[in-house]
Amino acid sequence: MKPWCQLAVIAAVSVAAALGTFWLKGPPSRLFRCDPASLKPDDVCLATIPADADVLWVDARSRADWMKNGVPGSLLWNLDETEDMQAFEAEIAVRAAATPRVIVYCGDENCGVSRQIAGRIRALDLGAQVSVLRGGWRALNEAGRTRKPPAK
Amino acid sequence: MKIACGIWLVLTAWIQGAALDFPTTLREIHAPPDVESVTADFEFTNRSGKPVDIAKYDPTCSCIAVQIENGKLHYAPGESGQVRAQFKMGNLSGTVDKMVALWLDKDAEDKPSVALTVRVHIPILVSLEPKTLKWEVNGKGEPQTIHITMNYDKPIRVLGVTASSDSFKHQLKTIEEGKSYDLIVTPVDIKTPCLGIFRIETDCQIKRHQIQQVFATIRRSNPGDAVAKP
Repeated sequence: MKPWCQLAVIAAVSVAAALGTFWLKGPPSRLFRCDPASLKPDDVCLATIPADADVLWVDARSRADWMKNGVPGSLLWNLDETEDMQAFEAEIAVRAAATPRVIVYCGDENCGVSRQIAGRIRALDLGAQVSVLRGGWRALNEAGRTRKPPAK
Repeated sequence: MKIACGIWLVLTAWIQGAALDFPTTLREIHAPPDVESVTADFEFTNRSGKPVDIAKYDPTCSCIAVQIENGKLHYAPGESGQVRAQFKMGNLSGTVDKMVALWLDKDAEDKPSVALTVRVHIPILVSLEPKTLKWEVNGKGEPQTIHITMNYDKPIRVLGVTASSDSFKHQLKTIEEGKSYDLIVTPVDIKTPCLGIFRIETDCQIKRHQIQQVFATIRRSNPGDAVAKP
């Protein structure tokens, strides 16, 4: 058999295998999946935080995103240059005094800002337990725990 | 069969291979204390053997302005270019990481091909240690001290301290004018939980370092123990 025919056979077998997998197992899940084995020491999976847990959520995204669809009752703390860092510090100090379990989230697992914010909250040494939510806002949104954006 | 497998592998690599090659995706900058912004350049080359389009880029923050060299978004094989990120300091201090995401060709919305990081070290001119003083409810209401140290080649004087609460008394002690101070804080009443915010005003010429703040709390013993761990 000529190489191009062999190539066509390989391609056909691969396509058949892919279609078979799709037919048997369905389309790939696009939902965020938190793997506890891959968590860093200060990471948490949303599944371990009950919806009614006494948690102070800190949104590390932009102010516009936080206002649009942040977690109800959450605080904003991001690293935008237009924001007042000392106002963020003061607000977290007041709220963490009443709710010493703080979880920071940003857009998704790739954004990286939430870990920096968690570090800044820890540096305040308020005595709060500070964690980073793996999967960020995406995980919260998929679990239906975010504020619904206002209807247009 | 070997030829067919070889062609298959080459095609797979050609389709899936990293399109733009960045020698580094992390730039660290030690910023002087008085600059308003810093710039980081990321050079890249298209080593994929096929044309690559930069579909979009996202600085993830209003504090970063991103420019692609000459506004060019289409790169033929072997062509090189540069991404320039200009970071505005605002009132930040300490170490700050800022990301720039690049989506190439038909990247999925949540999976940009390239993530660039600008790590800026911004000097902390006024060091406060500790940042928060803590007392326990019904504990000993003894005075505690926050050490204020200036880390700048010019003197920075403390002009005054204001407190948000009457539940604490405070006294500023000059250790070395323009260099070192102690803020001594004493709770007035140790029976109820309370938070005090102290704003320390200095004559630092760089505006973002002029005002600092520290905290004092009276709280029930180790409240973190009362909540479940994940």
